[in-house]
Amino acid sequence: MEGVDLKLFLLVGAVLFVCGVICMTSKRNGIGVLIGVELVLNAANLNFVAFSRYTPLGLDGQIMALFVIVLAAAEAAVALAIALNFYNNHLTIDVDRADELRG
Amino acid sequence: MSDIVLLTSIIFTPTIGSIVLLLFHPKSEESMKNWGLFVTAVTFVLTLFLLKDFDSTQAGMQFTSTIPWIPHWGVNYQLGVDGISLPLVLLTSLISMLAMMASWSITKQVKGYLMLFLLLETGMLGVFMALDFFLFYVFWEVMLLPMYFLIGIWGGPRKEYAAIKFFLYTLVGGVLMFIAMLMFYFGSADSSQGILPTFDLLRLAEIGQGLVPGVTFSPTVQSIAFVLLFIGFAIKLPSLPFHTWLPDAHVEAPTPISMILAGVLLKMGGYGILRIAFPLCPYGAQWGAYALVLIGVVSILYGAFAAMAQTDFKRLVAYSSVSHMGYVLVGMAVWTIGADGVTVGRDYWVQGMNAAMFQMLGHGISSAGMFFIVGVIYDRVHHRDLNKFGGLAGLMPLYTGFAAGLFFAGLGLPGLCGFIGEVFVTLSAWNYSKLLAVFVASGVILTAGYILWTIQRVFFGPEYKGPHPEALTQMNGREIAIASVLLFFAVVLGVFPNTMFSLMGASMEQLVSAMDIGYQNAVQTVNDIQTTMLK
Amino acid sequence: MLLADASVSSLGNTLAILLGIACLLPLCGFLIEIFAGYWSDRLSKTPALMAVGCIGGGFACSLLALILWGNATCWTALKADEHGAAHHSVRDDSAETQLALADEELHADEHSSAGADDHHAFHPEVEHHVASEEGHDDHAAEGLVPAHAVFSGTIYRLAKFGNLDITVDYYIDSLTLVMFVMVTFIATCIHIFAIGYMSEELTHEYVDHAVHMSDGHHLHRPGRFYRFFAYMSLFCFSMLGLVYSGSIFLVFVFWELVGICSYLLIGFYVERKSANVAANKAFIMNRVGDFGFLIGLMILWTSFGTFRFAEEIDDHGQAHAGLFHMVRGDKGLMRVSSETGDVVMWGEHEETLLDENDQPRTIPYYLLVIAGLGIFAGCVGKSAQFPLQTWLPDAMEGPTPVSALVHSATMVAAGVYLAGRFFPMFTTDVLLVIAYTGCITLFVAATIAIVATDIKRVLAYSTISQLGYMMLAIGVGGWGAGLFHLITHAFFKSLMFLASGSVIFGCHHEQEMPKMGGLWRKMPITALTMLVGVIAIAGLAIPVTIMGARIAFSGYHSKDAIVATALAFTEANSMHFLLFLTPLVTAGITAFYMFRLWFYTFAGDPRDKHVYDHAHETPKVMTIPLLVLSLFAAGCAIGGEEGVLYRLLSNSEPVGVAAGRMSGAGGISLPSHEAIHLVHAQAGTWALIVAVLGAFLAYVFYGARWVNPTEVGQSFPRLYRFLVEKWQFDALYDAMFVRPVRIIAGWFVVFDRVVLDGFLHAAASSVVHISKWDRRFDESIIDGFVNLMASVTFGIGRSFKKVQTGMLRQYITFIALGVLALFVLMLSFFPN
Repeated sequence: MEGVDLKLFLLVGAVLFVCGVICMTSKRNGIGVLIGVELVLNAANLNFVAFSRYTPLGLDGQIMALFVIVLAAAEAAVALAIALNFYNNHLTIDVDRADELRG
Repeated sequence: MSDIVLLTSIIFTPTIGSIVLLLFHPKSEESMKNWGLFVTAVTFVLTLFLLKDFDSTQAGMQFTSTIPWIPHWGVNYQLGVDGISLPLVLLTSLISMLAMMASWSITKQVKGYLMLFLLLETGMLGVFMALDFFLFYVFWEVMLLPMYFLIGIWGGPRKEYAAIKFFLYTLVGGVLMFIAMLMFYFGSADSSQGILPTFDLLRLAEIGQGLVPGVTFSPTVQSIAFVLLFIGFAIKLPSLPFHTWLPDAHVEAPTPISMILAGVLLKMGGYGILRIAFPLCPYGAQWGAYALVLIGVVSILYGAFAAMAQTDFKRLVAYSSVSHMGYVLVGMAVWTIGADGVTVGRDYWVQGMNAAMFQMLGHGISSAGMFFIVGVIYDRVHHRDLNKFGGLAGLMPLYTGFAAGLFFAGLGLPGLCGFIGEVFVTLSAWNYSKLLAVFVASGVILTAGYILWTIQRVFFGPEYKGPHPEALTQMNGREIAIASVLLFFAVVLGVFPNTMFSLMGASMEQLVSAMDIGYQNAVQTVNDIQTTMLK
Repeated sequence: MLLADASVSSLGNTLAILLGIACLLPLCGFLIEIFAGYWSDRLSKTPALMAVGCIGGGFACSLLALILWGNATCWTALKADEHGAAHHSVRDDSAETQLALADEELHADEHSSAGADDHHAFHPEVEHHVASEEGHDDHAAEGLVPAHAVFSGTIYRLAKFGNLDITVDYYIDSLTLVMFVMVTFIATCIHIFAIGYMSEELTHEYVDHAVHMSDGHHLHRPGRFYRFFAYMSLFCFSMLGLVYSGSIFLVFVFWELVGICSYLLIGFYVERKSANVAANKAFIMNRVGDFGFLIGLMILWTSFGTFRFAEEIDDHGQAHAGLFHMVRGDKGLMRVSSETGDVVMWGEHEETLLDENDQPRTIPYYLLVIAGLGIFAGCVGKSAQFPLQTWLPDAMEGPTPVSALVHSATMVAAGVYLAGRFFPMFTTDVLLVIAYTGCITLFVAATIAIVATDIKRVLAYSTISQLGYMMLAIGVGGWGAGLFHLITHAFFKSLMFLASGSVIFGCHHEQEMPKMGGLWRKMPITALTMLVGVIAIAGLAIPVTIMGARIAFSGYHSKDAIVATALAFTEANSMHFLLFLTPLVTAGITAFYMFRLWFYTFAGDPRDKHVYDHAHETPKVMTIPLLVLSLFAAGCAIGGEEGVLYRLLSNSEPVGVAAGRMSGAGGISLPSHEAIHLVHAQAGTWALIVAVLGAFLAYVFYGARWVNPTEVGQSFPRLYRFLVEKWQFDALYDAMFVRPVRIIAGWFVVFDRVVLDGFLHAAASSVVHISKWDRRFDESIIDGFVNLMASVTFGIGRSFKKVQTGMLRQYITFIALGVLALFVLMLSFFPN
């Protein structure tokens, strides 16, 4: 592991992040968007852990990553509940149909 | 009862009353109204205690008390009354009580109405008693919101428009006042000498008058601040050209709110000028005196002309308020400075100031009365078209009697409250400007014209020409009580004006002296600067 | 001396209290009548009795005050001729009185050097003064009050600003006392008369035949008996207060109050459009005059710093001169500085008044003139003088007792009273304006009276004309003559109005004279009393002198005095000869139209059978006041200028009037009493001749009209010839006098209707137009700006609304792109 540079971790994280963002923007399926969110969050996690390892931050980044994981779980729960509810009301989980916040 | 307790309880009794209203069952409207009346009556009685302990020979602030509120910024909970604010406090509590009595005709969401009404009273009383600029500003805004909702929810057909117009106008005024407040706040400090900034109006006044060594407001600052403050207060007064919110607000507001609006809220403009704009910037006041008198004169004539062309009864009374409040402005500003820089005919200016103050009180009584009179007839026939009345003298003789009395008070008939203010202002104006004084005097003809024409159209003639003639019933006991109290005060103030003049005299005298000195100091500063520059 | 002071002080207090009670009684009456009347029985006569009681009580108090005053002065006012007596101001405060009297003695012969002490040089307006001091000092030594004493004092304070003090003061001299007695007496008679006249209002269902409802019926309404008497009581209070007032400000206060009472009484029949239009017209035209009054007040207040007529003592026991003293001093001198042309004010003790910088206090001469004209403008409005006279005839819409009390005897005379009271403040220029105003008014009104056919309107025009006489008298320096005529006119004009009221009541509200005729058979008492009034106003007399006085009714004496003053004035200032000719000619016209009225109404054959058949003499409650008043109309001025009434009045004459007045600038000079006395007999003869001529003309035209020339002439050739000659006379008179006079009168009517009223209407409609523009400006420009600001703000918000699509994916895209853009920006601007 010594030979692996921080940049590689960050690169992987960036790729994951971009994938997530593209997934969020392109998927009309609500679940797909959620998957994109998970990807973005995990990209961030990767960065946290990487920084915690390669910089004198100590355990802070890892603790933060744990927080994010917990948060992601909670978020997924809430988001799935919203998706179910939305489905119940609209018989679809197409996010483009959810435009009730339009100005 | 200690001073702070007395003043605080006067201000916050209505607030407590409005919180207690939460406990009432929403359906028990009658008992809620009774409670509201009880609370306003208690407030009125408390202000009478204030009057009892007030020493009218003393010019300065009385019942003063200070509690730190936001020490970091030097904001204090600082209250007090003097001869200028005491009559207005009395007027506020009296008119609030009478307006509460007139609120029996309100049937929609009574609980909310009464709560807002009581909060409004807190705001008004607070404005008149606050001695801290920040506190003053807070109360000023506190009073604004309940008024907005009272017009916007319980108003007439165009209530939203009127409420928003009222809100925006007053808010603009508040913002300008806020800017001026910050100018004074930061101008009152001098870090090199360790002088801390303050919101204390009394101290700011001393600084403005050049009595505090080391720190002063320069003539430029005074002039700018005076313009800002004046516009802020002129909107409330209201004077030309900031008056157009008033007719709309009055026309849409329910009767009791019109009474408060005309009887008390307009007086805040005049009070603000006397309490803040004048003492804090004496140089600015003298600098702007001609403009003030001119605006006052134009307001008098413009309001009277506009009133004459109205067909809506309430709009007419609203424009008459514009006309009458013009006298206030004229009276305050007749400060003549001779060629040698010394005040000429100081006593006439003192007279003008006193008369302006009296005009505010007199107008508080007469205009509240006039709006009440309009309200009585509106409650019965639900229209206000002047051309569709007539013959009320025969149908409702007692009502006609009260109406004639209160309208004649507005007309400025001797023996009633309107006369003293108008005539004393007029008499003081000659010393300032002969031309403008003649215009002020010509107001008597126009005022007589529109009021007599109104009386003729509404009360005289053989028969009533409008809808719902069957609803024209005699006044009930509650209405008689309100009208007779107002008429009683109109007569007392008209026949024994010294009851009020002796209350306010010492404070006015002191204010005039202070401004005179302040102006001389400011001129001295200007001269010093010029001589230094020449060297 | 001390005895004198004590008696002066206590007398002053007593008089003030008595007259104060007389003044306040009607006010109490008003309050009780208006409130109790509303809640009690409409059929009760109690309000009327109460009103009569109040005003009667007032009369008793006034009479008592007059008698006490007379006793205290030992009636010296009536014994010796004291014209031109120097004028003491006597305060309630006895110490002050002593000071003033003592000072008077000290300075009695120093006045000629008063100007020399000062570094200004003064032109004394009077070159010779009558200095008859010894008489008064004698009285003082005997413990008597001088008859010309003024009692003044303060009742309570309205306001005090620095050195400016506005108080409620009283001012009592013999003029005040005479006015009080006159007003209360006439008012009592009229109140009693009104019980009869207004009795139709004692009903639950009064039918007003002048008002037509939309359904074609007449108006039915409850009677308003109590309200009439309440208003009358309020009026009496205001009128007495006006006379009682000791400061010009207080006069203004009561001035407005009588105005509003007049408004309420003219508009008593509120349902009648004509009545409430007339009421508005009266009040607004009065306000036009009051506008001038207010300007005068402003000037006086700013220049003099006081409103008081008499001196006052401030809280520190310091005496301050009143207005009259400041302008005229003790000797009636007005000092005009030769350097600046300003009028220099007198101080309390015959010295120059100094301001805080120890400079003499002055007022520019032109300001004093404007102030005088301003105050006089108020008088013009109130006394219906040219050009504000048009309201008074319209004011006849009110019930007749109102016309008698308010619009002839008292309120309209208040303008003359004020002009008399304020006489010391008027410069000669102002007096000339007053004289010409009176002159124009008296002629215009008299000519109009000739063509009027409404019995009350004839009287109204005659009132205006007589008020013009009074104004003229005051303007030409005949202070006593003007006020003398004021009192006598009050008696005979109230009598005639009541008589006309009796006719109207007896004829069931018929006011048109062409429908009357021959009424003396039906109502002899009314006819007789009216005749007394007509003779009195016409100024007829028997040219026989008994005990130094002619046998004549009151009007003769007073009009005689006016014409004599005018003649003396014209002799001194020949260019103003019209000021004598016009009143002389108008005296004839007056006699003419008044006799025309009498003949038209009472003599000849009935012209309208219906009216005549239903006419009846009025009840005793109405005829007894008529008889009483006719007694006074005939006899109140007995003795003329040597008589009781004139002597009483002349004690209040301002100092210097008796001596005449010469203008410093060489303009106008006012005649002295001596000069007037010289021409008195001459003027009197002229006036009498003219009056007899007028009366005779009236007889020729209206009294003898029953002769039908053609028919009678055919039957009786000799009589026919005689009548032909007479007829030629008729034609001659018709061509020479009647027609031109009628044409001119018509012109004046047209002028009144077209020019003055037209101007009024044009002014009114232009005001309406201006206000319409005003409203439009308000609603379009000012409101428009506000609305524009609001809509701009709203528009900006609306344009941003489009971004808010609610599409989740779009938002994320925006976020991503935004972040990207931020990075790009950051890297491009801060590459490191």
